Amino acid sequence: MNRHVRLARPVAALALLLIAGAAGAAVPTYALDAAKSKLEFSFVQAGAQNQGRFPKFAVGFSFADDNLATSHLEVTVDVAALDTGDQERDDTLREADLFNVAKFPQAHFGATQITKTAAGAYAASGSLVLRGVTRALQVPFTLKSATEQGKQVLYMTGKTVIRRLDFGVGQGDWKSTEWVGNEVTVSFNLRLVATG
Amino acid sequence: MQVRNTTARWGSVAQFLHWLIVALIIVQVILALRAENLHGMAKLAMLARHKSVGLTVLMLAVVRLSWRLINPTPILPSTLKPYERRLANFTHAALYALIFALPITGWIMTSARGFPVSWFNLFQLPDLVAKNRQLYETMQDTHEALAWTLGAVALLHLAGALKHHFVLKDSVLRRMLPFSKIP
Repeated sequence: MNRHVRLARPVAALALLLIAGAAGAAVPTYALDAAKSKLEFSFVQAGAQNQGRFPKFAVGFSFADDNLATSHLEVTVDVAALDTGDQERDDTLREADLFNVAKFPQAHFGATQITKTAAGAYAASGSLVLRGVTRALQVPFTLKSATEQGKQVLYMTGKTVIRRLDFGVGQGDWKSTEWVGNEVTVSFNLRLVATG
Repeated sequence: MQVRNTTARWGSVAQFLHWLIVALIIVQVILALRAENLHGMAKLAMLARHKSVGLTVLMLAVVRLSWRLINPTPILPSTLKPYERRLANFTHAALYALIFALPITGWIMTSARGFPVSWFNLFQLPDLVAKNRQLYETMQDTHEALAWTLGAVALLHLAGALKHHFVLKDSVLRRMLPFSKIP
């Protein structure tokens, strides 16, 4: 190995760090306004549409329309806190054969790429970890920005359909889709406030 | 056998509706009792069937009452005492009321619980009331009390029919039977 190569490596690494640092600084981060945000799901039970929600979840979002490569979305859901408006059903959903919250209390979506699909419309591609199963998932969403009390605010809305059985949500009897449909529509309506 | 009723006997449509509703009510009791001891998916399936069959009874009750109103009604034997006549009329009125009241209280009950109903997974029906836990509990008690009432009135009805057949030896029971010979 000659001297030039030995020198070139640390220099290149330093340059990369500087570029990444500069790019990172250009992407503002946002904090979830939990009180004004909703993460809901709907599913077919015995031939009828039923709704539920995840009242507890965390969102990490850094975003710049002109720097999507460095933008980032991460969502962690407290599955155990699920609420379908019926105690008996919620308890059943938490059991081992369904969400198995004792073993898998959280679900996680991390986007590795955000692409723009239209004006104000994007798609976050990444993976969803639910009940210990990791699967690729693309989540389309729209963003509307506003300035409220001097702060930059983003309203993020979207929905995606996931198949519960892909994640093993439904073991034993619950593998059947006769009484509880496989497809679950997850929708979200988030208020995100710039943190700096 | 004729389709329409006469003043002497029930026609085939009225008989078919009568016996079909009897059969479905027996199915309803079995489904409800079985659901009580189940949980999870099995309970969900049993109750979904109970709701679908109940809605079927409600639809049939509408058809049956309408058919009765546009047909002659077989008359009771003139030998009946006034109190027997009143008892027969009360029993019949109560049975008609119950085949409406049971499905409707069941439907209100499931709506109040927050579980929308479908008819055999084919189509979803509207909720009759908004979600309301208190109302759900009241309706559950009412539905159950009405079910016991139906059981009691149906027994009275059956006892009356058997008395007509075996004691009074008239045609009252036979005129609701499909294969009996009545002029």
